Parts: sequence; structure tokens; C-alpha cells
Amino acid sequence: MTTAINVLQALLLILGAPLVTGIVGKIKAAIQRRQGASIWRPYAEIAKLFRKEDLVPPSASWVFRFAPKVLFATAVCAVAFVPVLQPSALLGSRGDFFFLVYLLALGRFFLSLGALDGGSAFGGMGASRDALISTLAEAPFLLGLVAVSIMSAHADIPGIVMWTLQRNVFDISAVHILAFTSLAMVVLAETGRMPVDNPTTHLELTMIHEGMVLEYSGPSLALVEWASAIKLHAMLALLISLFGPWGMASTVSVWGIAAALLLYLAKLTALMILLALVESVVAKLRMYLVPDFLGVASAVSALAVIFTTLVKR
Amino acid sequence: MGLVAIATAKFLGSFSVFLFLTVLLMVVARRISTSVLLFSLQSAIITAEVFAMGVREKLAAAYVVGALVLLIKVIAIPYAFFRLVDRLKSPRDVKASTTPTQSVFIAGAMIYLSYAAVHSFGQTVHVPEDALAAAVALILTGSFLMVSRKKALMQMLGLLVLENGIFLAALITTFGMPLVIEIGIFFDILVGLLLMGIFTFRIRDTFDHLDVSKLRRLRG
Amino acid sequence: MQVVSIQVAFGFLLASLGLLAPLVLIASRTKRVRAFAIALIVGSNVVGCFVAGLCFWGESKLALSFSRFTPFPFALALDKLSAFFLLLICAVTVPVALFAAAYFDRHYDGQRCKWAWAFSSLFLLSMIVVVTASTGFAFLVGWELMTLVSAGLILMEGDSSERRHNVFVYLLMMHAGAAAVVASFFLFLPYSHSLDFAGIRAAGAVVPAGTRVVIFLLAFVGFGTKAGIIPLHLWLPRAHPIAPSPVSALMSGVMLKTAVYGFVRFAFDFLAGGPSWFGYVVLVAGAVSGLLGVLYAIAEHDLKRLLAYHSVENIGIIYLGLGTSLVFLANHAPVLAALALIAALLHTFNHALFKSLLFLGAGAISNATHTVDLEELGGLQRRMPVTGTAFLIGCCSIVGLPLFNGFISEWLTFRSFLAGSVLMSTKAQIVLPLMVGVLALIGGLAAACFVKVFGVAFLGRPRSREAENAVEAPRLMRGGMTMLAAACLLIGILPGILLRPLASLTQVLIPGAGVPDEIVSIARIIPWIAAIILGVTALTALFRRVQRMAPTWGCGLSQLTSRMQYTSTAFSKPIRFVFSSVYKPDRTLDKLPADDPYFPVSISYRSVRTTSYEKALYRPFVDRILSLAHQLRRLQTGNIQVYLLYIFLTLVALLAFLRFQR
Repeated sequence: MTTAINVLQALLLILGAPLVTGIVGKIKAAIQRRQGASIWRPYAEIAKLFRKEDLVPPSASWVFRFAPKVLFATAVCAVAFVPVLQPSALLGSRGDFFFLVYLLALGRFFLSLGALDGGSAFGGMGASRDALISTLAEAPFLLGLVAVSIMSAHADIPGIVMWTLQRNVFDISAVHILAFTSLAMVVLAETGRMPVDNPTTHLELTMIHEGMVLEYSGPSLALVEWASAIKLHAMLALLISLFGPWGMASTVSVWGIAAALLLYLAKLTALMILLALVESVVAKLRMYLVPDFLGVASAVSALAVIFTTLVKR
Repeated sequence: MGLVAIATAKFLGSFSVFLFLTVLLMVVARRISTSVLLFSLQSAIITAEVFAMGVREKLAAAYVVGALVLLIKVIAIPYAFFRLVDRLKSPRDVKASTTPTQSVFIAGAMIYLSYAAVHSFGQTVHVPEDALAAAVALILTGSFLMVSRKKALMQMLGLLVLENGIFLAALITTFGMPLVIEIGIFFDILVGLLLMGIFTFRIRDTFDHLDVSKLRRLRG
Repeated sequence: MQVVSIQVAFGFLLASLGLLAPLVLIASRTKRVRAFAIALIVGSNVVGCFVAGLCFWGESKLALSFSRFTPFPFALALDKLSAFFLLLICAVTVPVALFAAAYFDRHYDGQRCKWAWAFSSLFLLSMIVVVTASTGFAFLVGWELMTLVSAGLILMEGDSSERRHNVFVYLLMMHAGAAAVVASFFLFLPYSHSLDFAGIRAAGAVVPAGTRVVIFLLAFVGFGTKAGIIPLHLWLPRAHPIAPSPVSALMSGVMLKTAVYGFVRFAFDFLAGGPSWFGYVVLVAGAVSGLLGVLYAIAEHDLKRLLAYHSVENIGIIYLGLGTSLVFLANHAPVLAALALIAALLHTFNHALFKSLLFLGAGAISNATHTVDLEELGGLQRRMPVTGTAFLIGCCSIVGLPLFNGFISEWLTFRSFLAGSVLMSTKAQIVLPLMVGVLALIGGLAAACFVKVFGVAFLGRPRSREAENAVEAPRLMRGGMTMLAAACLLIGILPGILLRPLASLTQVLIPGAGVPDEIVSIARIIPWIAAIILGVTALTALFRRVQRMAPTWGCGLSQLTSRMQYTSTAFSKPIRFVFSSVYKPDRTLDKLPADDPYFPVSISYRSVRTTSYEKALYRPFVDRILSLAHQLRRLQTGNIQVYLLYIFLTLVALLAFLRFQR
């Protein structure tokens, strides 16, 4: 029964991902006093792309065609580590957050290769800038997760969630605040959101992720877009489960799961509003200021780790 | 009434965390107005701390002191700063001499140092360690701001943060100083700020800039 | 019976590599005889794999003694640690030898070819002697032979003065390291009365603390020079790129590992750990080597130099694991120490596999295009599909991506860092988890570097005529690379094969260690992850849509040339900019004509990166030694009577010493 709920969690993260992107876009439009596209638009877009044909540059090799599939597969595999409705996940095991980070890195690696395979300067530029950002974002990502893991004395995400469930929300520890700050900054960098990257633009001056996928079309582009949405959804779900999991079902019952789902949607909405606010208020950082941004994230996450020795566990 | 007691107890236990956050944010802030806002936030947290202590220790003087801090440090001084920035018409940049990453690391080292220092005499004096470490960290941050920011306005702000730290330290160790001393300190600060404000205008009029690193005639 | 047959097999391995193959090769006139000798080398290594496998996976032991024929005790033995490294050597040699069979044929003429093979055979023998030695004399003989033969192999490529200078630096540093190793062996003598490993192990318990520190530091410096830790790494980027590719593969993949073997022997077997600062020194050395190695690699566009710097980085990662293990040992946590040691040893094996694969790939590229400069390559994947795919597997492995073998050892290293938080010592509680950040940064930089390498060399459009006309590598070369790639994938998906015997190995080295359960958990999870990823990929691949060729989007330009792609230097520019305090290039900008700078006819820009170690660290040291030598020269007056005076004075001194000794 637990496994069935875990599969349900994974499906929720995968299938609900385009809706998350749609809602964030709608909130941003509301802030900008526009009507904006419907929240179901990303689904229509993915469906439309699946019906179109795949355009392949003549210089491309199998890596170009293969990269979106690997990106999608790693995103799907990554959601198997995130608990949503109950404190357990399909592949939850000791040391699983290293798997999570490196699976996302695998997807990014192949996407960069696919970008270079297009043989254009856009792909090279996007891949080169993305290489810089993902390099600098890995350390704070892992350090933030390590800090939280040390505090809870568990090395697996479900274990951390169970430990947090037993604590009081008012017992805020400095470690958790610092880890949340650095992880939030990393989420912005890894998913290509403002202020690191603009997900809605296709100008070469401002694009990093969009530059890498410029050559893709049809089903490949659909897979890439879906994979980015899944990544965003999974990371938001990860933040919720690590820092605010109260409400997760501790016993497997229909009412418990339904309540957990409603609470999760409420927390997710709060995070989405926050994300949309940040994206609308903050200007995009100049490319060479992003290392400063991620440097602050690294320093804060390193502080979080150091603080685990100061705060009584 | 029980809820208020619980809330104050929780707050007293965890407010140092928020002070550390303001310390970190202050060292990476790039604009003067952001730093002033953070200072105001810091003073607000300290005001809340004063009130919470008043509730817990049932001291009437604490409410007076809290009101004074609220009036002067949360409202009046930041307002004066904003007015000053407007009238000086100088660039709003903080002109830091360290990059944000370096600043955060230095801030981290300062916080660690303050914890280490407090831990070493925490055995003799019965004080909450977190809060005292926060106070020492504020003192160090104020000094760091004065040293690493080249704008004259930031020197003033650094001094104010320093004074925040001293005030907090005194508050924790003595559970509220006698009222007279508090008021005396406030007046000292006010007069000092007034003088600094006047001098800032004089500096700007004489040198046409407010970059402290260029003022090098203090030699024999 | 089994013992005897193992001894016979091992003896066959030694004899064929040491005597039969070189002799046959030197005497050979025809290609067929040479092919027989090569087959002998390959065959004996396969036998060696079996021997090592029996001792590593099984419980066999082996001991061979040649002391009757040598002035000092010369004996070889296979315990689990030696068997592991023997397996490493033989398993890597088989594919490399297959590759070299095709490579040397095309690269050298007949005379040089047979000498190259003879030297390679001796090189392999020397490395096998080093890892199976059970007396100090055998170890040092093998050590010295390794250095000399590899120098000879490098000089086979050519004779230019630059090459000779590089070989000179290589020999110099290797001998300095060897001196330190010899000294550390000899420091055991007063306590063990012989250089037999068993005796040294027993003496390790009674050596006083001060001597232990000196032994440790000497072993660290001596083996570190051979392994290539910063700042003792100067010879690596000089020597590895100029050797022929199969030899580079052996040097980088296998020879560096003998240094790791030596250090593990000393630190864990002979000294049985030490105070925790031993571990911190190794940890810091590993972190510095890892970071600086990969930063220097990113700035390179010569493929072989880039790979040489990556060897420095991976040795750094191995040392991170070793240092962590020593720290755990000092803090009385044997299970965690075993975990870290398993991580380090597994990374040693993995690195041997994927680094050899990458160097063989570089050899295939240079065979097809006669260049290893990344700026001249491009589009090779379509022209050399098998080479490209194997090279891609090597790239994914070295970056440490899941499903490939590099990930397993990096994951284990991460887990051991995380476990550092349960120790009592505050220093360990802070330093070890922070090393997670260091290793993550190293991994991220390596990923960026290999996206650049594979993307610029194999993907996109060819940047030169040679790259356009590249053809796929010959069958033997492909076979060698495919074997290594398959091994990388196998260990990446089924790591239990190596992890379980490594756990029993560490139980011998570290008394009191059980089997860490991370071994079990990762062996259980990785196949699931592989299944999910491969399943989803297959699912999406089934979804076939019409594919149409369309030109690359060129922003409206119709003719996109290959010069409009990103070059290797351009790709690494953002990272080099951010880490610019590490690189201090000498930049010169010339505008022609010089007297009319506003209307230049041509502008030339040159940026040469020099590492600062030579100027800051080595130059003063070398200058001081040279000036000392210069002053000592005054003793050499040339006058025969002065020399007779020296002899007379020595005689007097000896007599006085005898007199006053009473």
C-alpha cells in the first residue's frame, strides 16, 4: 500500500509539473497586470509539440537525438526520491539525496552535449554559461542538504521528513533557516529562474537554458520542456518536504492521504506565489554577478553545516 | 495570557536566529537604503526582545526602554538616514571593499568567533548563550561595516549597529539597566549622530564626495 | 594443489613479461614473431587476471621467493591488497595491449616497434613486482625499474631537446621521491632488522611516535611525488602528454596507482594509522590537488595535457578518501574508516579503467587526425562512432554520473564525509561535512570540463581538414576501448562485484571493521535507478515521429561555418574568469604596424598560462642547491697532491674515531 502511494506521489509530481509552470506564469501575469495565458496552457503546448515533426541539424549525431530522452528519464527518476503525501519515497534510502543531485547533473550533462551538437554559437553559449552555473550550484545544493541531514541524524530524505514531523514548527533552528535560504537560491539557479536566468526570453543576451534547447523541436522539445517543469515541481516539493512537511499522512488511509494532498497543494501554492513575486520584483543578474549570488549561497550553506556543531541537536 | 507567555518564551529562545540573519543580509547589502532598512528591522527585533523581557520579568521600566528604542532606533534614526541620503544626492551604492562571498564568509567567521568567546565564559555567568553570541556578533558586524564600507554614511550605520550590540549585551547580562543610564546612552548617541551628520555635509561640501578611503590627511 | 598451480601461473606471468616476451621481441625479424610475442604478453596478463581474481575474490594466498638468486632478499607475495592491485594492472593491460598492437604498428617502424614492445613488457613487469613485493628490496627494485623503463618509452617517441628536458625533470622528481621512499623503509630497520614486509608490520607496533611521524611524512612525500599531488605534480603534465598514447594510458592509469598502493601499505598496513592530523594533512592535500588539478585541466585545449591534469584531480579524490579513513581510524571508528578506504580503493580501480579508456580514445583521435588539439577537432562522432561512444562512456565515468563506475566511488566518499558528523571531535564534525562541498565543486568543474572535451572534439562540425577526413579506428583499437567501456558500465550498474571483496580486504587492513551497510544499499538501489532510466528512455524512443533534416538556426545567416561554433577556449572562459585568481597568464598583445596603432593591419594576442609553482617554490630551492653544489666544487682543485691529502685526512679521522670511541 505504501508503494502504491509512492507511485501516486511520483505520478503527481510528473503529471502536475506543467500545471505548476502554468500557475506561476499566471501569477506573474497578474502581478504585471496582464491577463496571461491559461494555467492549462503548458499541457496544450506539450501535446501540440508531440504532434509535430522533429527537426535535426545535418551535423548532429545520435547524442543530439538522445539527449532530451535522457533529460526526461533522469527527471522522472529524480521524482522517485521526493516524498509528497507521506514520509516515504519510491527510492528512498540512506544517502539518497546524493543520487538526486547527481541524477539531475546527468540530465544537464547530456543536455549540454546536445546543445553543442547543434553546431551553432547559441548552443555553445548556452552550454558554456550553464556549465558555470551548474558547477557553482552543486556545492551549496549538497551542503544545504547535508546540514539538514546532520541536524536530523538521518541520511535519507524520508528519514529527515519523519524527524521534522516530530518537531515543533516554532523550534526554528538557525541551521534550518540558513539551509532554506541557500537551497532556495540553488533552486532558482538550477531551474533557470530569475534572477539567474529568464525562462521566458529567447534573446541570446539573456538566455542560458533557452539557449541550450534552441535547436530542439517537436517531441524532443516537448520532452525538454516537460523535464524542466518536472525539475521545478520536484525541487519545490523537496523544499516543502524538508522544511515544512507537517500534514503528511502518517498512516495510510483515504482521508489521511486526501488531507495530505490538500495541505501539500496549499503549501505549493504559497511557494509558487513567492516564486512569482521574486521573479517579478528582482531584476535578472548580469552573467558575471551570478557567481557572486551562488557564492553567497555556498557561504550560507557552509555556515549551516558549521552551525550544526553549535546548535544542540 | 498563557498564549502570550508561550509566545514570548518561544521568541526569547529563538530571536537570535533572526538577528544572525540580519547580520548576514547586512554584509551583502549593496545599497545604503537596504542597510538602513535592515538596521531598522534589527532594532525592531531588539525592541520585541525588550518587551518580551518586560513581560517575563514583570519590569515596568522595560516597557519605557522598549518604547524609547522603538521611537528612536526603529523610526526616527532610519527616517533621518533616508532624509540624509536624499539631501546628499550621492550615489546610493555602499562601496564595499569585499565581494559578497568574502563578506558572508567573514560574517560567518565572526559569528563562530562570538559563539566561541561566549562559550568560554558561559560557564561562569548564567546567560542564554545564543542571545549573548548574537550581541557579540552585532558588535563585530558593526566594526566590520565601519572598516569595509567606504561611504561616510556607512560609518555612521556601523556605529549604530555596534551600539545595538552593546545595548543587547547589557540587556541580557543585567536584565535591564537602570533607566537613567539607558537614557543617558541614548542622548549620547543622538548627539554623536547629529555631529556626524553635520560633518558629513561639511565633507561633501569640501571634497565633493563621501568616499572615506580618500581622506588621508590624518597624519602627523 | 591449487596453491602450486597459482604459483606456476604467477611464475608464468613474470617469466613471459620479464624474459620471454622481451627476448622474443628483440630477436624477432618478422611481424609474425612479433605478433606471437604480443599475444604472449596479452595471454600472460589474462592469466594474471585469473591469479589475482582467485586471491581477491577467493581466499587463496601466494608467496614466491627468489632470494637464492639475489644478493638481498627478493620475495613476492599476494595478499588481498596486492591481489587487488594486480587485478587492476592486468585487467587494464589487456585492453591497452590490444590497442597498442594496432597503434604501435602504425606509429613506429619495425625496429622501434619491437623495442617499444620490449620496454612495455618490462614496464608491466616492474609494476607487477612493485605491487606484489613482500620485501623492501623487491619493492625498490621494481620502483626504480618503473621509472627508468617509462623514461625510455617516452624517449622512444623522439629526441628533441624539449622532450629531453621534460624527461630530465621527470627522472629528477621520481628519484627525489624514491629517495624519500627508501628513507622511510630504512627508518624501520632498527626495529625490524630486515626489510621483510612481515617484519616491518610487526615492527610498526614498537616504533616510537617521533619516528612514526617522520616515516609517515617521508612516505607521504615520496609516494605523493609519484602519485602527483600538488605541489609535487610538476612532472605529470610534462611526461604524460609526450608519451605514446597506450603508454600514457598505462602511466596514468596504472603507474600512479602503484604510488597509491605504496601509500596505503605504509599508512594502513605498516603504521596502522596514526594521530588524526595525519588524516587532515592527507585530506587537505587531496582537496587542493583535486581543485587545482581540475581548474588547470579546464584551461587546457591539448587533450592529453588535459587528461594528465585530470589524473592529478582524481588522485586528489583518492587522497580525500584515504585522509578521511585515517581520521576515522584515529577517532576509533573502524567501520567508517573501512567505508572511506573502500571508497578510495574503488576510485583507484575506477580511475584506472576510465583514465586508460580516455587516453586510448586520445590515441585513436591522434591516429585518425594526427592532432590532439581540441581546437582542430570536431564532428568526430559521426566519423568514428564506436570510438566516440566509448569515449563518451569514459567521460561520463570520470565526471561521476550515475550508472557509471565513477559515481559509485564518489557516492561512497560523500557518504563517508557525511558520516564524519557522528564523531566526537568538533574539528571532524566541521571539516568532513564541508569536504562534501569541496568534492561537489570538483565534480561540477569536471563535468564542465568534459562537456567541453566531448562537445568540442566529437560533436558539432569539424574544425579542420584532418577532422573532416577522420576514419574510424582499426578493429583492435576499437576492441580495446570497448572492453574498458563495458567494464565501466558493468561496475557502474553492478558495483557489488567489487564492493564485497573490497569490504573483506578492509577487514584485514583495519581490525574491527565490519561490512559497512552502504555497500549493500548502493548495490541494491543502483540497478533500480538503471532500470527506471533505461526503461523511460526506451519508452520515449519508441515514440517515433518523422525526423527531417533542417539547417541549424543561424539567426538568418545562411552559411554557418565551423568557425562559428564555440571553441574549447571560449567554452571555458566563464569558469576561467570566475577562478581567475588561480590562473595568472602572461598576456601579450601585438598590434601591427606598431607606429600606427589606430589602423592596425593585424593584431596578435598570446596568452600563456604558467603555473606559479615553478617560480615561487621550485626555482629558489633549485637555485640554492645549485649554488651549494657550486661551492662544493672548490674541493675539486685538480691538484693530485690535494687529493692525496684528502685520503690522508680521512685515514687520520678514522683512526681518531677508533681511538675516541672507547
